[in-house]
Amino acid sequence: MNRVLPVIAIARNTFRETVRDRVLYAFVVFAFLLTLAGILLGSISVGQDLRILEDLGLFTISLIGGIIGIFVGTSLVYKEVERRTIYLIVTKPISRWQFVLGKYIGLASCLLVVSAAMGAFLFAVVFLLNPDHVISPLMFESLALIYLELLFVVAVATFFSTFATPVMSVVFTLSVWFIGHFGQSLRELGRLSHSPSVAKFFDGLYWLMPDLARMAQIRGDLMYGRQPPPELLVFLCCYVLAYILLLLSMATVVTERREFA
Amino acid sequence: MTSPVIETKDLTKDHFSHILRRRFRAVDGLTLTVERNETYGLLGLNGAGKTTTLKLLLGLLRPTSGSASVLGYPAGDQRALGRLGFLPENPYFYSYLTGGEFLDFSAEVFGLSAPERKERAQGLLKMVSMTEAANVQLWKYSKGMLQRLGIAQALINDPEVIFLDEPMSGLDPIGRRDVRLIMLKLKEQGKTVFFNSHLLPDVNEVCDRVGVLHRGKLVADERVATISGGGSYRDLEEYFLETVSRAEAERQAAAVSK
Repeated sequence: MNRVLPVIAIARNTFRETVRDRVLYAFVVFAFLLTLAGILLGSISVGQDLRILEDLGLFTISLIGGIIGIFVGTSLVYKEVERRTIYLIVTKPISRWQFVLGKYIGLASCLLVVSAAMGAFLFAVVFLLNPDHVISPLMFESLALIYLELLFVVAVATFFSTFATPVMSVVFTLSVWFIGHFGQSLRELGRLSHSPSVAKFFDGLYWLMPDLARMAQIRGDLMYGRQPPPELLVFLCCYVLAYILLLLSMATVVTERREFA
Repeated sequence: MTSPVIETKDLTKDHFSHILRRRFRAVDGLTLTVERNETYGLLGLNGAGKTTTLKLLLGLLRPTSGSASVLGYPAGDQRALGRLGFLPENPYFYSYLTGGEFLDFSAEVFGLSAPERKERAQGLLKMVSMTEAANVQLWKYSKGMLQRLGIAQALINDPEVIFLDEPMSGLDPIGRRDVRLIMLKLKEQGKTVFFNSHLLPDVNEVCDRVGVLHRGKLVADERVATISGGGSYRDLEEYFLETVSRAEAERQAAAVSK
């Protein structure tokens, strides 16, 4: 039997479920309002109105995408077990990896659509304010990097959702995200402490967690019109994809070992 | 002689309480076989281990000891799962999908093509009298409608073996009659049906053979024709109650002698 078909079926099912949830639209509307708030902020700046609008718009996409990714992702597998819909999945010829991957792709596709919609809204607002303003192609690269980070966040949330409650998963996922962004600072903090074990602990965290701060830094460069070398972008993609693969593999192992009482 | 479709050998399952890790034996040394084209009803009081047995046969749970096989494969094997259908007790579905979408999804995971999926879904919706509700989202379905849809999804792959956990629960008399008729039709088609139920009149009507589970142990296994034709019992209900009472008395006597 085709091994891809069940993955597509589960992904499509997850996508449908997520886009039909009204909470998603509340977040998207909130994102639109936040983007519009950029017009107000821009109006009090001197000659940087569009710049501020673009900055705030991208920040909004990252924030709202992250919130959706975390809140939907952390209940992705847990909800299936809790609502017992998983009985109807695992008693069909579907491997656990197909199930985990399908759920992940479904949510990732939903986030792609939501991010694209928020991005299109931002560009439309920029165009309406100043039709002569040329949107830099680097903005699209920045948007792609935001999506790459969202893919990582969803993978973390999916992994935790295989064994923890949604509340705990949110806490764990936010912790990973936080350490990913502030790992270097934590490492320096550890070095400042007098205890070698604390320093080792933070050192370990720094090496274990992905360096999301580097990604944010590159996004900042892009916003300032500085194009990073292409090999760095390729490396970054491979780096994040390796983490995603690792997280989804761990999620598969956990699901594989689980019993469904 | 062909090998049995469902076979368990000394199947045992222990559950453990969360904090104290106290052991509770849900299924205790269960040995049974179900032959092809047989409709087998597993009876028992609440907590007797019926659903646990079913979950062990489907691979949702792993046995503590013993073995279970379906269609010659170990329980939960993908090759067997592709040839069986399952209706859980009080089935839960994806509430934002419509009935038609859910059946399409169920068919897609079996690798059926789009035209095949459509044809199967339409046929099954008609069979369970749900054609008109095909485009209604599942959160709007009544319990009975969900049960009917659950039966339809269990048959979407035209399975050889069908496991039904309390298929008549939550249904009104017409719904129960319809499910009985579906089960009889499945039997005509040569399917093997294994199901749990409390509703003894329905069991009496559709089953070839029944097993009685009491505190995880199989305490009786008898053909329905023998029970009703033997003259020892008025009906299946009397047989069941007497069997359970006897098993409980024996258990208590054994406990006292220990």
